[in-house]
Amino acid sequence: MGALTVFQFVDLMVGGLAVGCVYSLIALGFAMIMRATNIIHFAQGEVMMLGCMCGLTSLWLLPALPLLAVVAVGMASSGLIAVAMELAVYRTLRRRRVPIMNLITATVGMSILCINAARIIWGSEPLRFPELFATTAYEFGGVRVSPQLFWIMVMGVAIMAALQLFLKHTRTGLAMQAMAQDAEAAQLMGANLTRMMAYTFAISGMMAGAAGIMLGSMFFAFFEMGFITGLKGFVAATLGGLGSITGAMLGGILFGLIETFSTVFLSSAYKDGIGMILLIAILLVFPSGLVGLWQRRR
Amino acid sequence: MSASFDPSARRRAVRPVTLLVVAALIVLPWIEPDKFALHILSLIAIASIAAMGLQVLLGYSGQLSIGQAAFYGIGAYTSALLTAKLGVPFPLALVGAGAAAAIASLLMVPITRLTGAYLAVATLGFSIIVYLFIQNEEWLTGGSYGFIGIPRAELFGYVLRDQMSSYYLNVGVAAIVYFTFARIEGSRFGRAINAIRQDADAARASGIGVTLLKSECFVIAAFVAGVAGSLYAHEVRYLAPNDFTFWKSIEMLIMVVIGGVGSLAGAILGAAVVVGLPEYLRAIGDYRMLVFGAILIATMLFGEGGLAALFATLGRRVAAVAMRSASKLPPGNEAAR
Repeated sequence: MGALTVFQFVDLMVGGLAVGCVYSLIALGFAMIMRATNIIHFAQGEVMMLGCMCGLTSLWLLPALPLLAVVAVGMASSGLIAVAMELAVYRTLRRRRVPIMNLITATVGMSILCINAARIIWGSEPLRFPELFATTAYEFGGVRVSPQLFWIMVMGVAIMAALQLFLKHTRTGLAMQAMAQDAEAAQLMGANLTRMMAYTFAISGMMAGAAGIMLGSMFFAFFEMGFITGLKGFVAATLGGLGSITGAMLGGILFGLIETFSTVFLSSAYKDGIGMILLIAILLVFPSGLVGLWQRRR
Repeated sequence: MSASFDPSARRRAVRPVTLLVVAALIVLPWIEPDKFALHILSLIAIASIAAMGLQVLLGYSGQLSIGQAAFYGIGAYTSALLTAKLGVPFPLALVGAGAAAAIASLLMVPITRLTGAYLAVATLGFSIIVYLFIQNEEWLTGGSYGFIGIPRAELFGYVLRDQMSSYYLNVGVAAIVYFTFARIEGSRFGRAINAIRQDADAARASGIGVTLLKSECFVIAAFVAGVAGSLYAHEVRYLAPNDFTFWKSIEMLIMVVIGGVGSLAGAILGAAVVVGLPEYLRAIGDYRMLVFGAILIATMLFGEGGLAALFATLGRRVAAVAMRSASKLPPGNEAAR
């Protein structure tokens, strides 16, 4: 409490931004799936958790694996898992034209399945990651920054920038955007709907996988880690304006900052609650999230 | 029998199946007096009360709430506080618990303007706040140590000491809720919220007060969730914050969807599956929830209208097969058997 030195402020800022990047990556997955299919993908947190577990397992098998390779393993396995979910269950459900609530409930079922499978495979103890980052702090003009948080921010921003480039400048990316806006028109223009849907799940899975490795290296790998983090990602996506890519990125970072600062200034016991109160307040004023505010201004 | 031509009148009449189920529930404790079985059945009855509330909210008015555990928790702790700390008699505490939850839901009335996922996330946020309150305000709720010393339910001076009488209490309240809600369907209110679910704009254009009716559904669902919480408090007589997490809300949602969105009886069936199945699967230990998840996905794959529709189709098929075999079974089939 009280006045904060510049250094403490920078510390908090960096921590909040790093956690925010993790939330952003998860929120992106929610937003992309929401845009394409209109469902809340409750298993998104579990996709993240499984990516984290797979990355950790790859480190157990090959202890010398560099950081980027671990992130790649996490992204690849999460991407594959998300695609498997889509191909095995969600696609079938959509073909049968079941009500949207059934689809959402199926994602809850998927989440239960993943949590319990992970508990059986990896056990119920929290697992610690080996040291992936340099241990001596970096100095930027007299301000010390932990390498771990620094690299998490850099990776998060790089992955999000790559996603933006992919969506804006590649044929597949544009087709996915078009499909999100109007599936029928996109199909008439020659976009392969089922394939684009699989890509959507692959990309949102990869985002979650990267988030999983980051989060696991910051705290623990744990079979229940996806549950509450997934919810926070969902909240972040809503905060930004559901279905908006930019909104999800901003929402995640904002949520990370709010959480970190409110822990210090208000109360650590109610840390999760303050974000929620803000969320409800924001939704009451701007019922379609922060992006609604942005669009109204323009 | 001219009344049977009017479909709405027929729907409102008590069907023979309903009578049969009620009769079965009344005699059941005499056939199966096992305490644990009656306790599980009580929990199913309690869960089905909350699920029926959510059914009105989601199935009738089309509002997705993933925060019903908040109202369930408020009801449970209110009832526990009223009876254990203030000595309020149980029937009053039961109503008080419902009222407390309903009043808390009034706080949330502004958010009924939200729709779909936005509404869902706002209710989720509310339930997380309530959970944190229960967890942190030890002076009031006992915090993570839990709330102990909740007295047994008593009615008109008679304390429900044995499992059988508390079974009758829980099932009785569930039945009252069921028959009350069953009247909504054909009523003016029921038709209005049905119209809102199908097309809110069209409903508004037809002169239906959309926001008011949506809020009313919200308050109704919260009230019954509070009543269910109160019954839970006096059935288990120990409350811990972990009984009221986000997971509880999701369980209620699963009950409604697995039973069939829009079907009151479905909500009860769903409650029976969600509460009963994990107990039934206890034998397989660690794999229990894994199997539960798989069953949930499979139900979504194969049953569009949930268990209620599945049972209805099954019933029709059985009836059709029975009719066919009774009247005109081709002789070739008979030989094949």
